[in-house]
Amino acid sequence: MEKVSLKAGLEIHFQLDVKKKLFCNCSAAMTQKNPLLVVERKLRPVPSELGEVDVAAQFEFLRDRTFLYQVFKDEVCGVELDEEPPHPVNQEALLVALQVALLFNCSVPEEIHVMRKTVIDGSNTTGFQRTMIVGKDGYLNYKGVKIPITYVSLEEDAAAKVEEKEGKVVYRLNRLGVPLVEVDTGIIEGFSPKEIEEIAYTIGLVVRSTRKIKRAIGAIRQDVNVSVPGGARVEIKGVQSLGLISRTIELEVERQLNLLKRKEKVEPETRCAKPDGTTEFMRPLPGENRMYPETDIPPILTKELLKIASKTLPESIDKKLERFRKAYKLSEELISGLLKSDFFFTFEDFVKKLKLEPKLVANVLANLLKDLRRRGLEVEEGKVFEVLKALEEKRITKESVAEILAYLAKNPEKSVEDAVKDLNLQLLPEEEIERIVKDVIESGTKNFDFVVKATMSRVRGKADVQAVMKIIKRLIGGNEN
Amino acid sequence: MYSKEIERILEKKKIRVGDKIRVLKGKEVYEGILMPRIEMGDTSCLVVKLSNGYNVGVKFEKNVKIEKIGRGLKVFKEKKKEAKKVIFDKNLPTISILGTGGTIASRIDYRTGGVYASFSPEDIALQIPELKEIANIKAEEIMSVMSEDMTPERWRLIARKVAKDANAGYRGIIVTHGTDTMHYTAAALSFMLKDLACPVALVGSQRSSDRGSSDAAMNVACAANFVANSDVAEVCIVMHGSMSDDYCLAIRGTKARKMHTSRRDAFKPINDEPIAKIYRDRKIEILNENYRKRSGKKVKVDDKLETKVALIKVYPGLDPEIFDFYLGKGYKGLVLEATGLGHAPTLGRFSLLPKIEKAVEAGVPVVVTSQCLYGRTHPTVYHNLRELLKRGVIFGEDMLPEVAYIKLMYVLGKTRNLEKIRELMLTNMCGEISERTI
Repeated sequence: MEKVSLKAGLEIHFQLDVKKKLFCNCSAAMTQKNPLLVVERKLRPVPSELGEVDVAAQFEFLRDRTFLYQVFKDEVCGVELDEEPPHPVNQEALLVALQVALLFNCSVPEEIHVMRKTVIDGSNTTGFQRTMIVGKDGYLNYKGVKIPITYVSLEEDAAAKVEEKEGKVVYRLNRLGVPLVEVDTGIIEGFSPKEIEEIAYTIGLVVRSTRKIKRAIGAIRQDVNVSVPGGARVEIKGVQSLGLISRTIELEVERQLNLLKRKEKVEPETRCAKPDGTTEFMRPLPGENRMYPETDIPPILTKELLKIASKTLPESIDKKLERFRKAYKLSEELISGLLKSDFFFTFEDFVKKLKLEPKLVANVLANLLKDLRRRGLEVEEGKVFEVLKALEEKRITKESVAEILAYLAKNPEKSVEDAVKDLNLQLLPEEEIERIVKDVIESGTKNFDFVVKATMSRVRGKADVQAVMKIIKRLIGGNEN
Repeated sequence: MYSKEIERILEKKKIRVGDKIRVLKGKEVYEGILMPRIEMGDTSCLVVKLSNGYNVGVKFEKNVKIEKIGRGLKVFKEKKKEAKKVIFDKNLPTISILGTGGTIASRIDYRTGGVYASFSPEDIALQIPELKEIANIKAEEIMSVMSEDMTPERWRLIARKVAKDANAGYRGIIVTHGTDTMHYTAAALSFMLKDLACPVALVGSQRSSDRGSSDAAMNVACAANFVANSDVAEVCIVMHGSMSDDYCLAIRGTKARKMHTSRRDAFKPINDEPIAKIYRDRKIEILNENYRKRSGKKVKVDDKLETKVALIKVYPGLDPEIFDFYLGKGYKGLVLEATGLGHAPTLGRFSLLPKIEKAVEAGVPVVVTSQCLYGRTHPTVYHNLRELLKRGVIFGEDMLPEVAYIKLMYVLGKTRNLEKIRELMLTNMCGEISERTI
């Protein structure tokens, strides 16, 4: 790809892993599957200063659309149904948002005002999304450059679309109201697509350091703005994973350059990201946000909250890395592996809870799990811990860890014990190992290394290498090397 | 309003709300439009609308500098409130919409964040485009009060305006009204509009009309359908029938009650079936045939009310002296919102019997209704009730407490004779008493 001076901007949304929703006491877990009931609504044209034509156009658009909202037990109440005014802002979520603002060196206004952002696609039962700015004009250090973080905001997630047919759009309301933190960068210039992807990654790392970010698919959603000289600002919505950002930017730059080469105009527009990095036209770039104050919620004074937020502010990533190097003697390779994994923050929890070598834990988290992911296998964090716990208690061997993790990824309902049984990985009794060693020796050699190798390949993860070596030493008299 | 200190500085710098300003606070810069200060929060915080539309509050302290960097925005003005007509189609009937407060149409100025109420028929027609397929409209704002500030005097004014338009030949009348006391107004109009010959619908909204999800437009569209196309010559409340935007219900004005603080379908018929199910198009489904039909009669306003009537809720521990207060103040009638079938305490110092006796002896009627709302009072099932009956109280059948309260005002406007009062209170005048209940 030819070198161009590319301008980009990132908007990244993070679902918060807090107990309750942003404006009510519903659970934010989103675990219910079967709707209790469905409520049918229409949306009205929203009055605006733009006059008749605009209202008429909205009316025509909305006239044939009916929205069906699914209601779930414990996860939807009158607030999501727009049948009850919002409750005060969830303080747990607000604290996380303030911490994110502080971590990006933002200034935090003394008074936060909740706003209503007009949305008429039905994804908000009210016809607007509630949102508030909690920080502005911050930055992120990347390769010695201050990347501007223009805004950090806290908002309610929209309802998730289930399906759309014949003018009926079905939404699930359990996602509506789940707290989201949005981080917006200013214009990023002078960096390659790959570097912009790294910036997005670093932003994610900083936000995740609060340890209050959901991990499920779709919990982190990123939009990218791209323009090339002579082109136009194009907003790409919903890039599905971080690893797709550079590819998506490259392809958009290429698309804009091709249009320019053919002397065609690049239209400022919103495009939708596809899983292969390409994009498709969604709609023209929307005008300015239509916002007005959420008068049901009084402004929030931040002074006291900020004190609590700063007191519990997580350690910076740089400090953490420094400590990992010193305290756990991790190699740069392992550290970079951990950083790229989902387990950077879990690593230390595990090390503190387990009497295992930090390097071993890091290796499992950074490398074994990465290999599994490449094969499309994901293991949940709690299960990984159980496997490591079994290793600590010498119920399994180091050699069988990968196999057990893969099994648990494929069979998430099974326990570590089930895996050991089903994979036939029960540890062999000493007599059995001894019998195998003797068998190997009888087959003709007493070379220590050879015997170890041959025995290990026959016990296949059912004995610890240390235990095997001890027996061999006893039988043939030590390491001959 | 901002704090005095801020107001003083703004005045000195000739900065007005709506101007573009820059606020400098150490290294922090806030640039945007100065917004009006809402009453909640810290009045020493300047509210600035940033370029992305968000508002933030910046505390005004010694180190803060404000400068004006742009001129103010033009602010919308509310339109004059006068009766005006919009004719869509000569072949459609024309209905009258009377406003008593609250908004059924509004505009938002996204630059300043202000919401501007409007009652011009043009704005109503613009925001409820369905209307042009239902009826031509005349709209007039006759007062602007919140529903909790409604008074008997205001009911009278509404009744006179409704009667005027009904007699002027409008096909039906819509009265827009705040929801909290809408059922009181509905009951009052029911009694006061004698020989009503066309439908009258009271309509409100539980979600304000500045949001896309407002129920105002559908309620008004259904009410327009109801008053233009039905032959129900009664005062009804027309509001959402469920949480969905599927249909509205027309509920008899003397049998309706607000039963939820915030839901769209807050109004329920009590001891009655809804009269009709109404859809946004021209469909109307009659559910209850028991109603007065349209006629060619002229409506007369019978609006003499005795307002010195009180509604007293009975509860354990109620101090009987409350009766002394009302009697001492010259009250002419009392309605008890009693417990169960119509009970009130009869034991020891909490007994209401002596006070009730005293009231009746003084010629003050006491009407008993039930706080259960659903069901009918009954004077002879229990001993205590018989005691009340003996002392001359009037058991109000299945009348809602609020309706009995209004009816007693109306009846006392006609007579002070206790026997006559009893007879009128127990005569069904406009659907407030049903013969059968389940």
